[in-house]
Amino acid sequence: MAQDVLNALTLGSLYLLFALGMSLAWGTIGILNFAHGSIFMFAAFSAHLIVREVSLPIPAMILLGALVGAALSVLLQVLAFEPIQRRAKDHRKAELQILVGGIGIAIIPLAIAQRITKSVPFGYSNGAFSVSTYDLGFVRVSNIQLLILVTALGLAGLIGWWLRAARPGLALRAIGVDSEVATMMGVDRRRLALLTMAVAGGLAGLAGVLLTYYLGSIAPETGDAFLLKAFAAIILGGVGSILGVVVGAMVLAGIETVVLVTTDGSWTPAIAFGLIFLMLLVRPNGLFGRQEVRRT
Amino acid sequence: MNTWWLSNQILIQSTFISLLLALSIQVPLRAGVFSFAGVGSYAIGAYTAAILTIRYQVPGIVAIGAGVLLAAVVGYLLALLVARLAGLYLGMATISFALLLGVLATNGGDLTGGATGLYGAISTVTTEHVIAVAVVVMVLLAASERGAFGRKVDAVREDPQLAVSLGVNVIGVRRMVFVVSGALGACAGGMNSLLRTTVSPETVGFHLVVTALTMIIIGGALSWAGAAIGAVIFTWLPSLLHTVGEWQLLVYGLLVAFAAVYVPNGLLGLLQTGWRRLQRRGRRIPAEGAAAGTSVTAAQDPEQELAALGGPTGEARP
Repeated sequence: MAQDVLNALTLGSLYLLFALGMSLAWGTIGILNFAHGSIFMFAAFSAHLIVREVSLPIPAMILLGALVGAALSVLLQVLAFEPIQRRAKDHRKAELQILVGGIGIAIIPLAIAQRITKSVPFGYSNGAFSVSTYDLGFVRVSNIQLLILVTALGLAGLIGWWLRAARPGLALRAIGVDSEVATMMGVDRRRLALLTMAVAGGLAGLAGVLLTYYLGSIAPETGDAFLLKAFAAIILGGVGSILGVVVGAMVLAGIETVVLVTTDGSWTPAIAFGLIFLMLLVRPNGLFGRQEVRRT
Repeated sequence: MNTWWLSNQILIQSTFISLLLALSIQVPLRAGVFSFAGVGSYAIGAYTAAILTIRYQVPGIVAIGAGVLLAAVVGYLLALLVARLAGLYLGMATISFALLLGVLATNGGDLTGGATGLYGAISTVTTEHVIAVAVVVMVLLAASERGAFGRKVDAVREDPQLAVSLGVNVIGVRRMVFVVSGALGACAGGMNSLLRTTVSPETVGFHLVVTALTMIIIGGALSWAGAAIGAVIFTWLPSLLHTVGEWQLLVYGLLVAFAAVYVPNGLLGLLQTGWRRLQRRGRRIPAEGAAAGTSVTAAQDPEQELAALGGPTGEARP
């Protein structure tokens, strides 16, 4: 029982790391990035390519993943999302185009990774880090599980504090409420958008590396599955709310673990979709989402 | 011609089936409804047709018709359920509806054949039937894009508030596109499972959403012709991309990304703008011709048309 709770918390933390950046970008600069899963996978994959050549310790690997993720995400923002937002006639058209552009771009890193790995799962077998487990009597904890839990909750707390207390965080939230008025108040929308995308991509890359360490190996297609889970977590908690993503990710992981333990597991994929559908019907703003303030 | 027809029969079939699927997403999009329910209806149609054919040996047309009816009813109920949602939220809700159906099919036990799916749905449906259905659908949709009804739908997309104030039944139009989208998707699904004689949960996954969406975006989202262009390109592209071999998927992704960012109205949009520019250039010289030229372009541009509907310029129209 305690073991299941710990496993659920670890899974929830991985969902959280992945969904945090997506929720941040969607809730503030209005970008729903469908290539987030691809960035996540490709960062882990790049780390795999490097570790095949040089045996790196885990902090270097995590840093590497985060850097690759951030770079890809910024590249995506500059090459695709910025031109779309500049050219689109209105907000609604831009949203749709960003979604489709994201889906299209997501194919590119996936195709490269599939081509190189021949769709075989990849891992970090050559890395200078080995997973060790500590037996606490009632539960077995591995060092990577501890690392995931601490990183996820720590970063979520840090970002939550930054959005609430720091001036750039306030500016970012102002963009989320009304980007035009925020610009008039002297907020540099472009710079903050790039920063947000970099943070989102960095979190995705970090999550990718940690997941690969946790599971031993991941397949190039893992990104798509995580993308749909992240939607469920974000919509459950409420778009843009950091506390919402934390609760959403943990609740989703909790329900999934319960179903996985009590049944044969063939219904597990339905939970994320069912949660998205139900939440949107009953409470579209999510558990902790604020009321939509956007006016047409 | 005849040998070409025989050797490419599968590709011809999938062109028209993809066209119907793409239309099931394009029709709601034309009314400003961002719904992927068509993909869910594809699953409903595919499984209904296969189950009826295998278990009760009904004729193909009855099996597909039953799927179409069922999906249309489900589409109507879904429209009632998601009436509050719009934009991305509606998109997410309908995607999860479609993917949920895939999980249901996996867990359907004997009825849906579980993860392996159903085999041996043999019927008399042929390529000619598929083409006939697709042509009828295209003619009907082309008709619905013209005249007063076409303008009503355009108004619902561009400015729902304005449309309501002008007496357009916006809620009615939105419900109707859900029903039409359900019927089109189910028709595509039903024909596909009867032509291939098999259906499995893998055929109704997330990739179907991606395929249908990319077809519409590359072709052009505002007209049935755009979906047709997209369906032709994406069904025949893989055989053309033989030369790049294993990098096929990469080229595909680059194309979609480029089109989504730089060609938002699709190939059809490009063609239309080019055609309009040509017309304008040709008619600029005589003074009367110039006036005629602008009225022609006004009739083709939905935005100007809307302005004409709403503004005082309406009276000036002939």
